[in-house]
Amino acid sequence: MRPHNNHTDHAALAAIFNRDEPRVDWHDQTLWWVRRKRDVAASKVPEWEQLREAASRIKDNVLSHLSGYLAQFEEAAMRNGVKVHWAADAAEHNAIVYSILQRHRVDRMVKSKSMLTEECGLNEFLHEKGIDVVDTDLGERVVQLAGEPPSHIVLPCIHKKKEEIGEIFHEHLGTPSGNADPKFLTHAARLHLREKFLTRRVALTGINFAVAETGEFVVCTNEGNADMGAHLADVHIACMGIEKLVPERRHLGVFLRLLTRSATGQPITTYSSHFRRPRPGQEMHVVLVDNGRSVHLGRPDFRNSLKCIRCAACFNTCPVYRRSGGHSYHTAVGGPIGSILSPNFDREKNADLPFASTLCGSCSNVCPVKIDIHQQLYKWRQVIVREGYAPVVKKAAMQTMNWVLSNPGLYHAAGKTGRWFLLHVPFAVNNGLNAWYRQREMPEPPKQSFGEWYKKNKHE
Amino acid sequence: MSSREAILDRIRGNQPEHRELPVAPEGGMAGADTISQFVSALEGIGGAVYIIPGPDHIASIVRGRYPEARRIIAGIPQLAALGENPATVADPHTLEDVDLAILPAHFGVAENGACWISEKQMIERALPFITQHLALVLPADAIVPDMHAAYERIAALDSVEPYGFATFIAGPSKTADIEQSLVLGAHGPASLTVFLLDERLPEAGYF
Repeated sequence: MRPHNNHTDHAALAAIFNRDEPRVDWHDQTLWWVRRKRDVAASKVPEWEQLREAASRIKDNVLSHLSGYLAQFEEAAMRNGVKVHWAADAAEHNAIVYSILQRHRVDRMVKSKSMLTEECGLNEFLHEKGIDVVDTDLGERVVQLAGEPPSHIVLPCIHKKKEEIGEIFHEHLGTPSGNADPKFLTHAARLHLREKFLTRRVALTGINFAVAETGEFVVCTNEGNADMGAHLADVHIACMGIEKLVPERRHLGVFLRLLTRSATGQPITTYSSHFRRPRPGQEMHVVLVDNGRSVHLGRPDFRNSLKCIRCAACFNTCPVYRRSGGHSYHTAVGGPIGSILSPNFDREKNADLPFASTLCGSCSNVCPVKIDIHQQLYKWRQVIVREGYAPVVKKAAMQTMNWVLSNPGLYHAAGKTGRWFLLHVPFAVNNGLNAWYRQREMPEPPKQSFGEWYKKNKHE
Repeated sequence: MSSREAILDRIRGNQPEHRELPVAPEGGMAGADTISQFVSALEGIGGAVYIIPGPDHIASIVRGRYPEARRIIAGIPQLAALGENPATVADPHTLEDVDLAILPAHFGVAENGACWISEKQMIERALPFITQHLALVLPADAIVPDMHAAYERIAALDSVEPYGFATFIAGPSKTADIEQSLVLGAHGPASLTVFLLDERLPEAGYF
């Protein structure tokens, strides 16, 4: 049902998205509009660059003392009456959540947005166990009803037109067919989900930031769905990747100033909720999830991708993401940041993703924690080719190129041959085997190379 | 070995050497007039602001803005006559039909229009989210310039009375998930009104 499981590579999935050109243009322009809102918000903060630098360096400190901060957070959270769990991988994370549900004899719950649970495949796992999970973020509910994964980590159904959402709501929520008014549809979802909030005893939320000093954690939403779920439930389960820590509460000031301005251009999310103790009679759990992060931490070239605060600014600015759509990345976290995180988790399955980039560097320029995204994309390509995960055609082409470039005689002969082919038999190059040709015309070949021209003209 | 030990062991083996914490940058957004900055930030995100001399003015404004409101909870002693004034709520689900909650907040933030409200001020954690409309009341001189100053204020408040839950609220609940069309009132309140109390204002001078 969910395309993540039926894996083909980014180029093939992008080709499917590209069949509908007007939709590609619409998708491209919508996300560029969000990117421009980010620019306006960032330009209103005179110390924006100092903030990015501070955020990046706070995260450097976090990564250099992660074991200590995790232990400090655990101790403080337990003192606050929160139960803390440790999950080495996705399977353990899912088992922990399931065991909490079982202990409370509960077979349904509400969930607010958590990319970590997407990464762990929690919904599918619980579905197989007979647990009904309702995603309560409006965009996530839309894709859940459509049987799709989110296509964007902040705007989950950005690939859907309002008419399509109207039809999904007509089918599942009984709204009138043909009504695609966003206000009307949002109100229908409000009524539909309010009933879920009021009747579910367990709520699961993600975590944006956790504070080692105090043991509290912060959840940011615009809709208020995390709070509606958590405050009405008997049991609140909050799941986080181990890299989500900040050392002290005052550091939240830096990150909350950056997060939403980078994400949507708002000065801050509507709700930035600080959970420290369960309310009287409530049970509160925090699940700390590793799932490959502790290994990633040991790779000096790639570790600072763990600074990511999931704002999606790199998605919105990326010329490839905007034109290939979120589902072409076939991972929970797509876009440029997903393309440098995913090869860490599964090199073979995600070997295509670092190549889904023009290396233009726009992602690194907008990143609020200054991750060198495009440089890591470039470095991953080398690791992937070296380890033998590159696609066969690309590998053969690279080896030929290496042979030609290291033999000057061969290089000159090859240039001559190439020009001859382009001039006399263009179809030998312009065919289905040459992906470069699909959207482009090859240039007019020059009659001679620069080397030949220079030899002829140097005495004149 | 437990997962906890295995994870911490791997991290200890892989974490880079010590990196110093930076000094947080000073806020450069704060103009001289934090109140007008706060007002324009909050109006920019869909909130309404009234600056009034005292809480007595709230009742008439509220009746004008929310003529339909039937169930009102007022968490401000001077507004007790406006509706219910529970000290605690046994079951948060019973708040489902609250039309308007009027609650105190500690302070506001000029750079983004957010108000900081702690558990005790909310009466019940669910209330500021489940109510159809929300009004927050705070002193006009309790506007800090930016989030750095906000966390200094929070540290001071927390040292006197630690919170179990607290939140920044910036505007009404909203979503733009359907084709980026902004809709107010996603799951939480469809409107937010903030009352700034300024005793120095002449009685008739509120706006």
